Amino acid sequence: MNYWDRSFRTKRLIIFSSFIIFSFTILVLGFFNLQVLQGEYYLQLSLHNVIRQVKLNPVRGLIYDSKNNLLVDNRPAFSAALIPAHTTKETVKKIADYFNIPVKNITYRLRSAPRFRPVIIARDIEKKKLIYLAENQYFLPGLDIILDSKRYYPKDVNSPHIFGYIGEVNQKEQERDPRYELGDMIGKAGLERYYDTDLRGTKGIRYIRVDASGKELGDFNPQLNEPPIHGSDLYLTLDYDLQKFAESLMEDKRGSLVAIDVRSGGILAMVSNPDYDIRLLSGKIDPEIWRTLLQDESHPLYGRSIQSAYPPGSTYKIVTAIAALQDEIITPAWEAYCPGYFRLGRRIIRCWKLDGHGWLDLYGAIKNSCNVYFSKLGLKIGLKTWSKYSKLLGFGKRTGIDLPNENPGLIPTIEYFNKIYGENGWTKGNLANLAIGQGELLTTPLQIAQFAMILANRGLYHRPHLVDHIYNYQTQKTIYFPVQSKYVVGVSSEVFDVVREGMHQVVNGGTGWLGKVPGIDMAGKTGTAQNPHGDPHAWFMAFAPYYHPEVAIAVMVENAGSGGGVAAPIGRKFLEMYFYHKLIPRPVIKKDSLQVEPAINPIQSVPLDSLSPLPILNQPGTE
Amino acid sequence: MYRFQNIFKQIDFALLLPVIFLIITGLFTVYSATHITQASSQNYFSRQLFYAVIGVVLIFAVTFVPYKVIFDLSYLLYGISLLLLILVLFIGIRGYGAERWLSLGTVKIQPSEFAKITTVLAVARYLSRNRRNINHISHLTVVFLMILIPFILIAKQPDLGTSLVFLALIIPMLYFAGISWFVLFVLVPPVITMVVSFNLYAYMGWILIITIILIFARQKLYLKILVFLQHILVGSLMPVLWNSLRDYQKQRILTFLQPEKDPRGAGYQIIQSKVAIGSGGVWGKGYLQGSQSQLNFLPAHHTDFIFSVLGEERGFIGIFIVLTAFLFLFLYMLYLSNQVKSSFSRLALIGFTTILFFHTLVNISMTIGLAPVTGLPLPFLSYGGSFLLTSCLLIGISMNFSRNRFQP
Repeated sequence: MNYWDRSFRTKRLIIFSSFIIFSFTILVLGFFNLQVLQGEYYLQLSLHNVIRQVKLNPVRGLIYDSKNNLLVDNRPAFSAALIPAHTTKETVKKIADYFNIPVKNITYRLRSAPRFRPVIIARDIEKKKLIYLAENQYFLPGLDIILDSKRYYPKDVNSPHIFGYIGEVNQKEQERDPRYELGDMIGKAGLERYYDTDLRGTKGIRYIRVDASGKELGDFNPQLNEPPIHGSDLYLTLDYDLQKFAESLMEDKRGSLVAIDVRSGGILAMVSNPDYDIRLLSGKIDPEIWRTLLQDESHPLYGRSIQSAYPPGSTYKIVTAIAALQDEIITPAWEAYCPGYFRLGRRIIRCWKLDGHGWLDLYGAIKNSCNVYFSKLGLKIGLKTWSKYSKLLGFGKRTGIDLPNENPGLIPTIEYFNKIYGENGWTKGNLANLAIGQGELLTTPLQIAQFAMILANRGLYHRPHLVDHIYNYQTQKTIYFPVQSKYVVGVSSEVFDVVREGMHQVVNGGTGWLGKVPGIDMAGKTGTAQNPHGDPHAWFMAFAPYYHPEVAIAVMVENAGSGGGVAAPIGRKFLEMYFYHKLIPRPVIKKDSLQVEPAINPIQSVPLDSLSPLPILNQPGTE
Repeated sequence: MYRFQNIFKQIDFALLLPVIFLIITGLFTVYSATHITQASSQNYFSRQLFYAVIGVVLIFAVTFVPYKVIFDLSYLLYGISLLLLILVLFIGIRGYGAERWLSLGTVKIQPSEFAKITTVLAVARYLSRNRRNINHISHLTVVFLMILIPFILIAKQPDLGTSLVFLALIIPMLYFAGISWFVLFVLVPPVITMVVSFNLYAYMGWILIITIILIFARQKLYLKILVFLQHILVGSLMPVLWNSLRDYQKQRILTFLQPEKDPRGAGYQIIQSKVAIGSGGVWGKGYLQGSQSQLNFLPAHHTDFIFSVLGEERGFIGIFIVLTAFLFLFLYMLYLSNQVKSSFSRLALIGFTTILFFHTLVNISMTIGLAPVTGLPLPFLSYGGSFLLTSCLLIGISMNFSRNRFQP
């Protein structure tokens, strides 16, 4: 057959043409149906009514603790909104007077919004005002009262640094995620922000007919409506009874307590004090309250467990010990003499025990937290090795906890010192300082808790996390997050055994003896970190039980004094509650038998600016 | 004087006049759709006017390019447009929708638009070679590759709507290149099998129809069995494939097929479009009087939904006239394809008709809710420089073919 045959072509041409004519006939019939047959119906729709798309807000996901106690719930709240296309100048003026908002403010917001979408003027309005508005809605064209929800927290639940708060989406956040619509309430801090996409659910849609003044006339086509989908519920690893107890331990102190389940990385308790009443920010963010919180000298908005970084003090001597042992610079039997001070050039580093520890091996040095021993050790291993092992053990980078705005801390390196002080501008004094956890070195309490987990598991650690699983209402399935396990590569089990033994002795007759829980074999390390802002920060890290560890904790109290005297007893009380669900009464201790590391400035020289912890000005939620 | 008359004679007015009519209608409608949004109204209309003038100049310019130049350049242009498509994947700027733009100083171009023309020309040239039998598997493969490469590149942007235009090209062009019924039968029905395989009864019925056709087809037995197996395989693999997709992927496909279910507002667009068109009635509300489109009820009313504005303001009569103009244009282009002597021109004309027809059909069906919202613009009417120029270029080439219709 000749495919280029003309008659053959014509046949195909006729078929194609027929197809085109057929499609156009269907189109014409479609238009005939819409415009001629149903024209009157649609004309009425367009003349007297308009169809509006109303977004139905979903219920925000709830938050439960590990024992399924409800921690964060919702309550209805009503918002007053104006629809730009339907409202009048008088209405705007009346509303502005009623809520005490400048008229200019409202008109600006109305002008910059889509014409047919309600613009929320006031959130969480009081019942009295709500009734008044509802009664007078007829005289206020364009006013819309929207059912919204606000967060509700059961009695005794606070923990604002964990849950965070929600607020109206701003322009920057909208640009980042186009799914956010004007007026949406989104998570601004804490879990509310980190899990916002899970918690927020999916909006529903209702198509309604409204008349020219915006009054609702009923559904347009109920089949098109979409119900909203409940946001996913979060189930935390947190045990809220423990959390409450931990919060009570930290009351009237400034500092942080972090407890991690070393078998999973789940956070059991995480306290940051001072905090604020989480109910203050539950429905709307009152600018007055917000300003007071921002300007508060004690920075209550700041989650100290993950957002503040401090010099870790003597707890960091363990890192120095691991570096020295692993690189085979010393053996555990290596001894140094502590006369109570250590002369380095013109500087004198003092040990906390002024008359000296005498000859000490590594175990003794950890047990007694000897500054001289570890300063000497630091000089032996050098800055490069020290930085390498610091990073290996999880410092200087974010732990990856499921909370926003985590501080990575700071691990000085040779390059860093060269940049800050210029080449050769820094001395061995800096290095000796770092080796005992002082100086430019900064860690968050969470990092120290993670370090305790690493020690407990001899190198194995899991990403710290607060959320164990979520329940998704759309798929009606529970979604478990896999435990993300990591391993410290390049530190042998034997090295961990040595430092673990040292830490074992710390709580059994060493500087951390006040942290010892009766009947539980455990290990820990105290720290007393000098800082230019006043009294030293008290640190204590521990894990327990010693042979089959379950829990690792880090306690930090700002400007409170010695780690052994202040932080260790807090850690002990927490662990007693963890293991026995009650506090164990203790014999009365004579004051002078307190053998704890007091505050002694390791380098009594000029305070350097770079010694101060990172400024506490990085406001949560404002980035 | 004589010379001028000569040129005048060479212009195919049957092609030019409907196009000019459509472009002018488009300009009026764009003005009506945008004049009320004060800030940028001047901008939209004058920009569209600017492109329209350039477009008309382009039509005339291309009409008088030597025929051979178009033929010779077709492969080169195809190569360049592929290159641009790859480039745009890396350095493209994302537009408001899914499409991507290439920024050349102040001018932004959309390579996917120009790729439509160059692909048609290249395929037409390949198929027009003497004795190239399209039923031969190697030639068929080449044609498929030539069309599928730009298709994949554009689908990756991910501009699904535009990429579908390329798929739509395959069947008509192969059909007019003389593909046999049986090859067409191998190619098209599996797509239907894919769809019906989700319903067991529909699938059984469909397989029965296929079997009956196969029994009566005059082909070798092993070929028939292969085709039968192909359908069974596609049918049983589809549900498995579908279930292996992730939730969000399924969601994306479902949204494409059922935009009414899209909570982001495609359903809303269609409702508003229907209200706008329906309320226009027989005679329309009058120019600049369309309350639905003027009051911004209708999103994208100057681009994808321009036909709704026309429907509201000009009514069924106006719609009918514009649809007639389109229909006349397409049928005339098909008629022309039968008149030209060279098979290159013929196949290219078929391809061009398909592109314009596909755009028109999908866009207009969308405004009355017969097709999903894809974001395909309406030729000559929708606001947008790249596509207007593409359409004009395409008409210019068609007029060139008409001028050189006796050239072998």
